[in-house]
Amino acid sequence: MAKINPEEITVTDFAVREHRSLWGDAWRRLISSNTARLGMFIVVLFVSSSTLSHYFWKYEPKKDLDYSLKLKAPNLIITEEIPSTHLFGTDKLGRDIFRRVVHGGWNSLRVGIVAVSISLFFGGAVGLMSGFYETVTMTMVERLILFGTTGFLLGFLSAWIANQYFQLVLYTGLGLAAGYYQDLFKGKFLRMVTFSILGAFFSAVPGLFISPTVALICGLWGLFTGVLLSRPLDGKFFSNVMMRLMDIVLSFPGYLLAIAIVAFLGPGLGKGMIAIGVVGIPVYARLTRSVVLAIIHKEYILAAQSVGESHGRIIFRHVTPNILSPIIVQTTMGLASAILSAAALGFLGLGAIPPEPEWGAMLGESYRYLTSGAWWAVLFPGLAIMLSVLGFNLLGDGLRDALDPKLRT
Amino acid sequence: MNPILEIKNLKTRFYTQDGVVKAVNDVSYTMSSGEILGVVGESGCGKSVHALSMMQLIPDPPGKITNGEIWFDGRDLLTLNEDQMQKVRGRDIAMIFQDPMTSLNPVFTVGFQIVEALLLHNDMTKEEAKERASDLLNLVGIPGAKQRLNDYPHQFSGGMRQRAMIAMGLSCEPRLLIADEPTTALDVTIQAQIIDLVKKLQDELGMAIMWITHDLGVVAELAHTINVMYAGSIIETGKIRNIYKQTRHPYTIGLLGSLPRLDDSPGTELVSIPGLPPDLVALPEGCPFAARCGYRIDQCLTEKPPLVEIDGENHSVACWRWEEIAGMGTK
Repeated sequence: MAKINPEEITVTDFAVREHRSLWGDAWRRLISSNTARLGMFIVVLFVSSSTLSHYFWKYEPKKDLDYSLKLKAPNLIITEEIPSTHLFGTDKLGRDIFRRVVHGGWNSLRVGIVAVSISLFFGGAVGLMSGFYETVTMTMVERLILFGTTGFLLGFLSAWIANQYFQLVLYTGLGLAAGYYQDLFKGKFLRMVTFSILGAFFSAVPGLFISPTVALICGLWGLFTGVLLSRPLDGKFFSNVMMRLMDIVLSFPGYLLAIAIVAFLGPGLGKGMIAIGVVGIPVYARLTRSVVLAIIHKEYILAAQSVGESHGRIIFRHVTPNILSPIIVQTTMGLASAILSAAALGFLGLGAIPPEPEWGAMLGESYRYLTSGAWWAVLFPGLAIMLSVLGFNLLGDGLRDALDPKLRT
Repeated sequence: MNPILEIKNLKTRFYTQDGVVKAVNDVSYTMSSGEILGVVGESGCGKSVHALSMMQLIPDPPGKITNGEIWFDGRDLLTLNEDQMQKVRGRDIAMIFQDPMTSLNPVFTVGFQIVEALLLHNDMTKEEAKERASDLLNLVGIPGAKQRLNDYPHQFSGGMRQRAMIAMGLSCEPRLLIADEPTTALDVTIQAQIIDLVKKLQDELGMAIMWITHDLGVVAELAHTINVMYAGSIIETGKIRNIYKQTRHPYTIGLLGSLPRLDDSPGTELVSIPGLPPDLVALPEGCPFAARCGYRIDQCLTEKPPLVEIDGENHSVACWRWEEIAGMGTK
């Protein structure tokens, strides 16, 4: 038995438990679940195989063509007829499907990750801010930002009509002035009159240099902007505007909107990422806002406010870590659906441009040969889609359980 | 003693779908530095809302402070903007909340949260702040403070969490500490410990304390002065001895009467005040307590009694019949 020197330890050393972190705990719980381990295995397998193959197994899709190997079934043994092994068979152009599936992962997963990052970044920011400022009084700087951006965004219409982009500066200035002189003629009709006249003046006078009609339209728009800016806009206003915008996006069927955006931007992998990302924004915005609203009246937020912490600090230090777990779960699940969306766009020929390998596009190119018995050309890319979606979903499920604070012991 | 806080005609309203909730109605009082003020009243009488109004932490919308002045340290807090208020909160006025289970952020260690509060208002390094945080935890009586700094709130018991909250509140040595029902969620023994602790700290640090509670027993042990609130107004205020010995308002009499007593014989039913407090959306025209009051006269239903001082010792009552009630003597 080791000798204990009573001077070296205080009594409390016995009673204090080992330091355990939130993430350490979550990780322990995650790896203790079989399904989560399976999901994690699949995800790691797909991510590593596609990344490694992209960097270390060069593939040039434009040169990969061999009609003599057209639609060969999977083979492992080299014969006279087929001089190379094709684990998954070959497609209509004689290309090795195994190779294309592995390389296709690079494109499919990339679309998923980038698209989800876009949705998460914009949706998260909108949700956080609209949830937080809904009931919290804004500071001067925050108010200036709100008024300035409102003026700037509204100024776009006028600037576009008159084709005078310096009007944006005037509109922004009007917004900043309205935000800064919050108490000027407060609560009086005079305030609305002052700002509406200023707004009308700022946009009508430059418009006069174009034509009287333009001046009239811009003046009216400026008048409206002035009226809006004269009102005491607050976080509630911001939240309402943002959520109605999100409702508008959400009211379109997701695939349809994505297809419309791709049709507008033109096909291509990058455009597909943007389209899928934009369609996903409202989901994250609403989720984030709802979880923020759920914790914003918890006493630790009130306590943070009552020790005088600034808003930015409260948002990033106290709000964000507490809402992280539902968002992490949603992100993991969202990756699965983004991969599926990417495949759908690819299938329709709106994603990756052939001959670039992509799972959805591979399905689209090969499904016609199903009737002639070439099941392998469809099965393996399909399996890849299914497995990756399954992997992300299982991982998401596991994360949901692991990050649930109620299960923390 | 010089006044540290002076509230004049404070009115707070909540604009809800059901109408305007008149949560605080014309509350005025002064607090001296070093004083312990007890604010008592039943749920929904505006105790907490008036304290949150002082910190300007009312959720807005729906809440709004519609009228009043709050003078603290030569400044009217209601004229300060959010940036200036952030400097007042924590440094000049600190607040402890009711539920120790939720007032610490579950994702950070207790030490991190105290250090954060310290760094916010003091010019010190992280090491100094850690040192000070463990001193503070020691001060509020948490054993093994140094190791405990690395614990998460869920590893603390309720009483320890409330102590940690008090340590956080004290971190910047505020001149006014608002304690919003800090012992309500705790059991009686812990409650007694916390009260002793607050008393001791007040002796050592000398700040003014506003203790909001519905428990008359707690304030009797602690407070120098008591404000009794009902339906958003102060209906009786005075030195603790005056409130307990020369009770003048029927509501306060009812409150004191409803306390269980050690010398009651077993089986005695507890006395309660009949009825419910009025709906704050539709306050009656006269005295808000009239509907439940046994001393009611016609005047009570039509005119709201003003808060008048009845002796030289700042004992004030808002009741038309306080003189007659004084004549009857309290039971």
